[in-house]
Formats: sequence, C-alpha cells, structure tokens
Amino acid sequence: MRRLLYLLREAVANVLTNRTTTLVAVATTAFTFACVGVFLLLYVNLKTMAASLEQDIQVMVYLQDDLTEQARNEIEQQLKSDRAIASLTFVSKERALADFQVQFPSESRLLQGLGQNPLPASFVVTLAAESRSSDAMRRWANRTQLIPGVSQVQYNQEWVEALAGIVRYIEVAAIIVGVILSAASVTIIANTIRLALYSRREEIEILGLIGASTTFIRVPYLLEGAALGLCGSALSLVILKSGFELFRHQIHSATRFLGVDALLTFFPFEMCLVLMLVGLFLGCAGSFLSLLRFGEGRA
Amino acid sequence: MIQLFHVSKYYDRRPALSDVTLEIEKGEFVLLMGPSGAGKSTLLKLLIGAERPEEGQILVQGRSLSKLRASEIPVLRRKVGIVLQDFRLLPKKTVFENVSLPLLVQGAATTEIRRKVAEALRAVGLDHKKDLFPPGLSTGEQQRICIARAIVNGPIMLLADEPTGNLDPDLTSEIIELFKAINARGTTIIVATHDPNVLAQVNRRVITLAHGKVVSREQGTS
Repeated sequence: MRRLLYLLREAVANVLTNRTTTLVAVATTAFTFACVGVFLLLYVNLKTMAASLEQDIQVMVYLQDDLTEQARNEIEQQLKSDRAIASLTFVSKERALADFQVQFPSESRLLQGLGQNPLPASFVVTLAAESRSSDAMRRWANRTQLIPGVSQVQYNQEWVEALAGIVRYIEVAAIIVGVILSAASVTIIANTIRLALYSRREEIEILGLIGASTTFIRVPYLLEGAALGLCGSALSLVILKSGFELFRHQIHSATRFLGVDALLTFFPFEMCLVLMLVGLFLGCAGSFLSLLRFGEGRA
Repeated sequence: MIQLFHVSKYYDRRPALSDVTLEIEKGEFVLLMGPSGAGKSTLLKLLIGAERPEEGQILVQGRSLSKLRASEIPVLRRKVGIVLQDFRLLPKKTVFENVSLPLLVQGAATTEIRRKVAEALRAVGLDHKKDLFPPGLSTGEQQRICIARAIVNGPIMLLADEPTGNLDPDLTSEIIELFKAINARGTTIIVATHDPNVLAQVNRRVITLAHGKVVSREQGTS
C-alpha cells in the first residue's frame, strides 16, 4: 500500500515538476485528438444519415399493364415470401393516378389529355434492414426484375450509392488521419515523459542502485503518460462537444437547413469512454517508448 | 563470500581491470587502494552487477554474477549497501524518506520501515534530523545519511566508493569509525579510496590496484 502511494505520489510530483511541459502536452494532445474527432464525428453523422436514408428508401416494383388479377396475386405472394422484404403495399393504376393528381395538380391536365391512365400498377416495397445496403439492394432489384409480370424495378440507386461512397471515403480518411495524428500524440507524450526522465535521471540512478526493480522505476512515468493521454482525450471531447453545439446552433438558425440540426448527433457516452481509453492507451504507449529509449541510453 | 577469478573488464578496448583474482571473506573490512583510474570503481560496479566482466567469473555468496538475469540484479542490490562520494541523496525528500527508500522498493510494511529507519538513523547519530531535507545538512551529515540508507535493510556487504572524498580529516575519522562499527556487527565492508588518511586509520587488509591489476595485498594487524 505504501509502495503504491509512493508511486502515485511520484507520478503527481513528475507532473508538478514539469507543469508547463505537461500543460503544453495536454493541450497539443487534445488538439490532435480533436482533429481526429472531427473526422470521426463526420463519419458517425454521415453513417447515421445514410442508415436513416436507407430506411426511408422505398423500392417501386412496377407491373405490366395487361396483368390478370391472378397473376398479380401470384407476384404478391412471391414478394411476400421473400425474406429481403419487410413490408409491401399494392398501388393500383387508379390509386397511382389519384396520388399523381394530388402531388402534381398542375401537370394532371396532361394525363387527362391522353384519354387513358398511363400510370402502371405497382408494389411499394420496404426492404428488411439487412438488405438495405446499396449492393444488396442492387442484387435484389436485379432478381425481382426477372419475375414474370414485373415491368420495372426502381429505387434511388444513385443516392444510395453516392452516400455509401462518401461514407466509405470518410471512413478511410478518418483511419488515415487517426493513425497519423495518434502517432503525433504518442510522440508528444513520449517527449514530455523523456523530459521528465532526464530531469529525474539522478533519482532513477539512485533507485536502481538501491535495488528498485524496473517496474518500480517505470510505473510513475507510465502513470504520468496515461494521465496525459486521458486528460488530452477528455479535453478534446470538451472541445469537440463545444464546437458541435456551436455548429448545431448555426445550422438551426439557418432556415434553409430546416430540420437538419435534429439529425446531427454527438458521440454516444460509450464511444466517449472508448475515446478516453484510447487516449489513456496512447499515453501509456508514449511513456513506454520513452522508457525503452531511456533504458537503452543508460545501458 | 566474494570471489573473483581472472576477471577482466574493458572500456573501448582499454583494460579497466585485467586478470583480477581475489577473495573476500564474510565479515572482512577491505580497503581497495590505488590512484584514480586504477580500476577500484569498476571493481565495485562489477560487484553490484552494474557492469559485466568480459572475462572471468565473479561469485557472491557462491552465486555467479555473470549468470544473473537482468531481473535478478535488483534482488542482488537489495543485499548490498552502497555509499558514494557525492552522497546521491534526493534533495526534495526528507532524511526519513531518503533512508526509507531501500525498504520501500522491497515493499516493507510501514511499521517495519519506521522501526528500521529509526535504528539506522540512530546508528549514524542523526535520528533527530529525520524531518530535514539534505540540502540543509552539512557534508558530513549528508554522508552519514547516505550510510544510514546503505545499512537500513541490513545488507550482507557495504561497498563505499571514495566515501571520504568530499570530507575533511575530522569528518573522515567519523565516517571510518562508523564503518568500523558497522563491520563489528558482521557486515562485510569494501572501501575504495585513494585517501591516505583512511589507510592510516583502518588497519585492515589492503588490496592495491594500478592500471587495472592487483599490485599488492597487505594484511592488517587488527
């Protein structure tokens, strides 16, 4: 117990001895983590938005005009037995015309001029969650297109694929930026710990001479690195949350983005915890690197 | 207790110790004499595992130091007290904290630490200064604190490298008397020095080194 207290006291003493360096290290680490965080936040929001759009996407299965009721019922049964479909609604030719007239009253005269209803009957299909990715949707559409009596399968393919593409790019960018900036954070923390090690090298030598184990000597510096990483990541979350709220407020004020602010989400609590743990781990890694180099230098 | 067989140590191909063979019995008080660069400090560093010999064999209590794993070196050092010329006390820690360090690194209990530190400080006559910081002490007192730290965990041997190098003749006598008292309790003591005052006061075995070689071995009369 006394040994543990000693190690904790030493870690605090290390921080207090190099106050300015520690503050600079925490601030720089927070800034680098915040940069990674911006990408992560973008990724999380786009992913949420993509999922929400995918949920809203409805697939139109248009039927041939000359279809008998029996043939239509067979198609309906076939679609109902398809596990990729969550729900489907039949829209008759008459209903399609009525909907069109409600949605586009000014253009409804054009249809009246044709004499007969040109709009086809259709099934409005909502796909099951696991079939909403752009690839799954494309595969399903190609398969359904081959059902006899189906004239066309239509969905907002371009939208879904474009969004999926953007999410993929953001994901890759977040990984690259994350790796680079995490390495930068590790280096910053490693340098801070190295300064602490050099300022206390005499003490470290004494501890070695009186029989302190390597672990006993290293633990205060590992704790210091972990604390730096943890504080840096916590501060970065504060910066990100403030920036996020400011952005949301701006979006809310701008009327042309009406409703978009409600779609924006910050990291969930669990993810905040994970990010802080990542900071703690990177801090430990930085300390460990410095301790290794310090050990090699003294060997 | 300590045996060296044909030990050689080189720094940049220059021999710091060359073919040294010697034996030190348990409870002995040995002076390692010789000018600067003779190899005295190197010999002490070899005995605490801070350096490894290029040739030869060193046995401490029958255990070969060359076969010690890195993790076993701290265990060896806990059995050895070390006194250095520049004291190596931690200026921001109190006398009590400085002396308690060897016990702390071993994980001793609080009550044991208090008892043993008090005993060690009493042995060097400075138990009344336990709450002071080293910079507030005289050089003689600092060296005595250093000795208290070296003996606090009851080492089997005490190694001192030029322990009187920074002290005047009166303080040198004080320190030598302390060493004699510690030796009287059964601790093996090896003092590396080039100070003739020490030689005059310690009438014990003297091993003289020059250019890394043992050039003479004289047996004291007491």
